[in-house]
Amino acid sequence: MKTFSIGGIHPPESKLTASKAVEKMPVPSEIVVSMSQHLGKPAKPLVKVGDEVKKGQRIGEADGFISAHIHASTSGKVKSVKSVPHPGGNYSLSVTITTDGEDTWAEGLNTAPIDWKGLSKESIIEKIKDAGIVGMGGAGFPSSVKLSPPPDKTIDTIILNGAECEPFLTADHRVMVESAVEVIKGLEIITSLFAGKAKPYIGIEANKPDAIEAMSKAAKGTGIEIVTLETKYPQGAEKQLINAITGRTIEEGQLPFDKGCLVHNIGTAVAIYDAVCCNRPLVERVLTVSGMEITSARNIRAVIGTRFSDIAAFCGDMTEKTNQVITGGPMMGRSQFTLEVPITKTTSGILFINNAGLENSRERTCIRCGKCIDACPQSLEPWLLGNEAQFRRFDEAEIYGLANCTECGSCTFVCPSKRELVHWIKYAKALVNNRKQRKTA
Amino acid sequence: MISEAFIPAVTSLGSLALTLGIIIYFVSKKFYVEEDPMVTIINGILPGVNCGACAYPSCNQFAEELVRTKDTSMTCPVGGPDLAAKLGESLGIEMAEPKPITCSVICQGNSENARQSAEYVGIQDCWAAMQAFAGPKQCRYSCLGLGSCIAWCDFNAMRIENGLIVIDKDLCTGCGACVPACPTGVLVMQEKKAERIFIACNSHDRGADTKRACDAGCTACQKCVKVCPEEAIVIENFVARIIQEKCTACGKCLEVCPSKVNCIVLKKDMIKSKQVS
Repeated sequence: MKTFSIGGIHPPESKLTASKAVEKMPVPSEIVVSMSQHLGKPAKPLVKVGDEVKKGQRIGEADGFISAHIHASTSGKVKSVKSVPHPGGNYSLSVTITTDGEDTWAEGLNTAPIDWKGLSKESIIEKIKDAGIVGMGGAGFPSSVKLSPPPDKTIDTIILNGAECEPFLTADHRVMVESAVEVIKGLEIITSLFAGKAKPYIGIEANKPDAIEAMSKAAKGTGIEIVTLETKYPQGAEKQLINAITGRTIEEGQLPFDKGCLVHNIGTAVAIYDAVCCNRPLVERVLTVSGMEITSARNIRAVIGTRFSDIAAFCGDMTEKTNQVITGGPMMGRSQFTLEVPITKTTSGILFINNAGLENSRERTCIRCGKCIDACPQSLEPWLLGNEAQFRRFDEAEIYGLANCTECGSCTFVCPSKRELVHWIKYAKALVNNRKQRKTA
Repeated sequence: MISEAFIPAVTSLGSLALTLGIIIYFVSKKFYVEEDPMVTIINGILPGVNCGACAYPSCNQFAEELVRTKDTSMTCPVGGPDLAAKLGESLGIEMAEPKPITCSVICQGNSENARQSAEYVGIQDCWAAMQAFAGPKQCRYSCLGLGSCIAWCDFNAMRIENGLIVIDKDLCTGCGACVPACPTGVLVMQEKKAERIFIACNSHDRGADTKRACDAGCTACQKCVKVCPEEAIVIENFVARIIQEKCTACGKCLEVCPSKVNCIVLKKDMIKSKQVS
């Protein structure tokens, strides 16, 4: 069994929904499609209030190189185009659509599956770009950009990330079990772009034996290697996954393609298959609705832009004890203050939890126990970064590898003094960025 | 016996001290940097807090530059007219009189006026709170009330009262160090006047949203714009702004402002002038 070499933790898995089949959630009466569902600049809205839109119609134009198109997730009428809360912790320009309930596709989309083998490399990348596909694991890096690395870099390893190391989340797990064929086809499309020179892998954590079995069965005779990984957080982080499977280490400032690797999420592979073979843009995704305080935890397939409140209602409402709602996993996710936020292309889960100590959790001083150093998968010293941030010594923090932190949350998880190390590191990053902007301005 | 033991120690250390002393004497002569004694005098007059308001990193550098160039337009905003007069006297030139500046908070969203959207339990610092939906208040342009700016004030002029930053205008020297420390930009520098009127709202939300979030918010209703005889009020990006050069502080806008807590504020500043002192 393979694993990454440095650090890592073992949080309780809490995979409540691992055996529950994906249910399709009906389209709610109103959806909010955000214009920034990806890394980089927000898309430019192409519609105005009162416009009729069809499902899959492009309503946001990519603005710049690292940006992605946005599509209407269902048919209906545009109600407003304004700035609303976004689950990423800020506000973003969003198109609110009053749905008509017919869910009709725009012309030429959602066609019967075709054979992708006849398509040229350029047309495949063009289709992926048109479908607005971004990395669905969390960061939301546009896939078309990732799939066209600079010509001087050779890609010899393609990894599909089925680790899903965050507690609670089971969306990728269920996709692997239920749509194994599509996942394999998606990976074959990605591999074909590198003219057979790259070796495809699928990395899956050992706590999903049914997914490993399903993928092995579907991958028979395709040359795809299924790698069983040790159950350890953060196994599914890009750098750690590359380290676990190939043994290579991504140094500070390097990107995976500098080491000949390319990592994609399971959901992205399915989306690529849908886009290339069925002309289906990215308008829906599978996500986990879980946590101790939701009546019926389940995996759902919802259209992008569905509000959290609608999802909570679909899953039998949350209990009164809920005091924290988190998007994504409990380790890297963000708390929300309103249930009016919509899901985006990168929302892998919603958790409703009762964090009993939340009101009186107070940071105490560092006792220099060194647990965070043992836990850090990036071999940083989180306590030191936290201290430098706390006392506004950002130059020192940069020297000690501030930019190298992936914000995985392992240090905060193990800290016996309950220090908010990741928050301090994020705070330092925000201020360093602000200072750089002021210098250039 | 004892005195014998002293001899080698005293002679070796003594000769070492002597040699080093001689070397230091010659080195200090050789590498002597001539400094204008004026710089020391000017440096003594300057406040010496190194706040950076004059655009020089320290008071010493300001003094050096002033002595070198004798530029009469160089001003120390912290010292005000008194200091300008003293500097002019020492250098024998007529210094320009600095305009007295003070810091104003363009937000009145304290815990009574502004409504909260959530309970914030993370790091108690504005920049940390900004990452979670621009802080605990509904209005995302407001003062977050966690006081990141306080650490930047060299003059102890800032404090948090009722979830809002308050500036002690007697202590504020208008150095401007706090302005970049605010993530929402509610701190602005204004020229001191006997009567100064400004809009204390920073919300760029539409009127209805502003009103929902705060009792003291500017809804951009245009009433003050219409009533102003000097045409000194403009609406920019859903918030009114007073053009200070045109404003005569007649106070007509204060009467018509419809928001529950008046979003237009009248402040009376003490202005020190050369004649008075």
